[in-house]
Amino acid sequence: MSSEPMERRVAYIGDRLKGSRCPLCGNEYFKPKRYCGKCGRKSLGRMEEIDLFYEKGVLETCTVIREPTNRFMKLAPFIHGIVSFHNGKVRVPGRITDVIIGDGEVNLDEFEGREVVPRFRRRCSVGRSDIIPTISLAFTFADEYYPYQRYEISQPNKEYDVPGIVGYGVYVSRFRIKEVGMERSVPFIDEDAITAAVEAGKLALIHSGVDSRRIGKVYVGTESNPYAVNPIASKVAQVLKLGEDGADGVQMVDAVDTEFACKAASSMFKDAVALTFYPRDPMEYVMVIGADNAQAAPRCEPGGELDYFVGYGGVAFIFGKKDVIAEVEGWCSCTSDTPDFWRRDLEPYPRHGGRFTGEPAYFKHIIKAGRKLMERMNLKPSDIDYFVCHQPNPMFPAKAAATLGFKPEQYLPGIYVTKFGNTYSASSLIGFAAILDQAEPHKRIMVVSYGSGAGSDAYLFVTTSQIRDKRAYQKFTVKYQAENKFIHYIDYATYRMFKEGL
Amino acid sequence: MNSPPAIIGIGRTRFGEHFEADPEDLIDEAGLMALESAGIERKDLEACYISDYLLQITSKMGLEEGFISHLLEMNIPIERMRSFSSALMNACHAIEAGKYDIVLIGGIEKMTDRLSKIRDDLMLFVDRWSYYSGGTPESHHELLLREYIRKYKVNGADREKLMLTLAHISVKNHRNALWNEYAHFRREIDVERVLAARREERKTLGTYDFAPISDGATAVILANPRKAKEYTSEPIYVLSSEMATDYISYSSRPYRAGFIASRIAMEKALKAAKISIDDIKLLEVYDQSTVLEMTSLEDLGFIEKGTAWTKLYENFKDFKGYYDLDGREVYVNTDGGLKADGNPLGATGGAQIFEVVKQLRGEAGRRQVKPDGDLLYGCVQEMEGFGTKVYIHILGREKRE
Repeated sequence: MSSEPMERRVAYIGDRLKGSRCPLCGNEYFKPKRYCGKCGRKSLGRMEEIDLFYEKGVLETCTVIREPTNRFMKLAPFIHGIVSFHNGKVRVPGRITDVIIGDGEVNLDEFEGREVVPRFRRRCSVGRSDIIPTISLAFTFADEYYPYQRYEISQPNKEYDVPGIVGYGVYVSRFRIKEVGMERSVPFIDEDAITAAVEAGKLALIHSGVDSRRIGKVYVGTESNPYAVNPIASKVAQVLKLGEDGADGVQMVDAVDTEFACKAASSMFKDAVALTFYPRDPMEYVMVIGADNAQAAPRCEPGGELDYFVGYGGVAFIFGKKDVIAEVEGWCSCTSDTPDFWRRDLEPYPRHGGRFTGEPAYFKHIIKAGRKLMERMNLKPSDIDYFVCHQPNPMFPAKAAATLGFKPEQYLPGIYVTKFGNTYSASSLIGFAAILDQAEPHKRIMVVSYGSGAGSDAYLFVTTSQIRDKRAYQKFTVKYQAENKFIHYIDYATYRMFKEGL
Repeated sequence: MNSPPAIIGIGRTRFGEHFEADPEDLIDEAGLMALESAGIERKDLEACYISDYLLQITSKMGLEEGFISHLLEMNIPIERMRSFSSALMNACHAIEAGKYDIVLIGGIEKMTDRLSKIRDDLMLFVDRWSYYSGGTPESHHELLLREYIRKYKVNGADREKLMLTLAHISVKNHRNALWNEYAHFRREIDVERVLAARREERKTLGTYDFAPISDGATAVILANPRKAKEYTSEPIYVLSSEMATDYISYSSRPYRAGFIASRIAMEKALKAAKISIDDIKLLEVYDQSTVLEMTSLEDLGFIEKGTAWTKLYENFKDFKGYYDLDGREVYVNTDGGLKADGNPLGATGGAQIFEVVKQLRGEAGRRQVKPDGDLLYGCVQEMEGFGTKVYIHILGREKRE
């Protein structure tokens, strides 16, 4: 049994890598300290809070752990070492993650001296009923898959009449499995829906330049929260410091998880927009995250057909009225009681009701919501520049798009299921992000999500001239992650092991 | 130190695996041997200082004072510390202060009962943030070695020489333990064995670079020097008992290619004993790994920083049983060190003291060292944690006025 207060204290410092800096001599400390050892009482009460969450470090020394402690068994073998920040002013111990160390000899000289980026991950294994321990003392090499990016808060230039997207981030893991003409993203063994949600949120903050303290609410849509009870949104709010933070560790922000299969996140777009628009007490910014590490039964078991399609990833959008990159033009949703995919409480894997899949579920809802929205807005498919919808497999989105009257050049830029697999609540939204990555200003984009159960949310967005300006702040684009030379392809056995997690 | 306390009795068990014994059985055996060798009765004891590092976790035993009281069937003051050196230091303070005349110092550890279960706890104790990022008890030693290599730019062929030197240290300690009837390992190994273990385990440091974890107990009877003469004609004086500390988090320490606490404690100890480092020909270092034997020789001031690997490399070309350090003979870990004698944490320091007392009295049998000139002093370095607490004891056959 773990101790909840101990876990929380470790996570509170470790998730964010909090420390202190002496304003008098510049000494830095991990973890936080109330006074500086050199300046003594003069520094008492004057220490500045620092954290290394958005910083870049150097792996100074390292070794391979092949015989770990008991709780790190599933991670081994791995690289563990000492990481220095700020030219050696402060050092922390760390584990290198996202690297598979084989049985062969390892040349430590190849790792030492390289730049590393802190990553928020699960810390180690615990019992199934324990709190999931997390930490950012996990690092990846800055010259590999995940680039170092500064988080620079920028002062907004322009206020729009209506709200829209002010920034977004997509996170897909480095690991992929290639099968039957498709590539799918696979979480590393220390990743899950929580870590993907935090990662996507972090990337959205970096892209938008929005001060995290100005976020009023965060939604996390997921169907694969590793907890049955306990939100992911609270972790996201704490780690990303959303809302004003008090010295007591409580963030002044609203945070909630939502669930409706793969439309858990898209559904909240309109809520986010509404909150920023409420005339009496508008929120400056609202964040919506979709993150999933969907479970799938082994292939020989009922529900095993999903195992060919599940992906892993997260996406986050920040809505507001300042420095908007895509305005929300309209929306339309539909819902019916059509359980085509479900997971009963305490069941490890979801079931897929073959009878409902396709026509009465996916196609019916997507086409209905899409058509209705065009009707309402008095638009034809040719008035829309890009179309993207939920992508459970490579065939469905193309068929749905064609049925609605869209041409391949309108919908192909948003299809990423062949690269990442079905990322569930992130699926249609990652496609949307891929379009935003490349769209010119003043382009109209239609997004239609689909959630089993069932329902669809259709949205129309129009890009603004600021979409180009903000591209400079996001190197980690959808395309970059889809076609990265550091992608690591793994076999089926490794995929199942990673998917099971710590 | 006005009148240094005197050791009048020593005792220990064999180190290794004692499946059949409870911790009480082990300390009973060591304690009785110490009482016997001092020629005193239980009733002569006025207080007891005992040490164990992990008994609460390994054996689920707290209140060690109570079972010592029960064994002795006495109600004297008993206090528990975490290392033998810590218990010895506290006992010295009490005797110097005139509080007691005769005390028992005992060390116990029972590591093997729950060998695999204590790894996480052990690491949490030693450096919790390292543990949270996957650190192990062994990884600290490897990181220290990497830091040493980096700091002193030991590369290419030199790097190979360094690794070979470390292997020789292990071989030397195993050979020393051959004639130690209490040692955990009494078998000779060769350099190839050490290197093969590293290769097979695909590690920087392999099985033969690390001390084992052992069960065992040790005991010492310490007396006021005036009182000591009543029991023995050959008391061994504790000329200095010093310690220094360092940050719990290894990664936060400014100096990471060794232990600053070793240097500080040693400087204080030499000053207190009024001797120079050149007077020390017999040394017990806390070699939890071969790396620590090498770096300790630098930290303690026997060899200049960054050069121990090359000094020792030259020595091992034609090893004479001692390190020839610019003409000085220094015998190191004559009992086999932690590597071969064993490492029951709370009892380990007692075995180091046991060895130095035996050597100073000329009772070490086939292990007896015979340096040029008299063997007057012996030095013991013991640690708690990874250089977090370093204790230095200098023992001598006579006091230097």
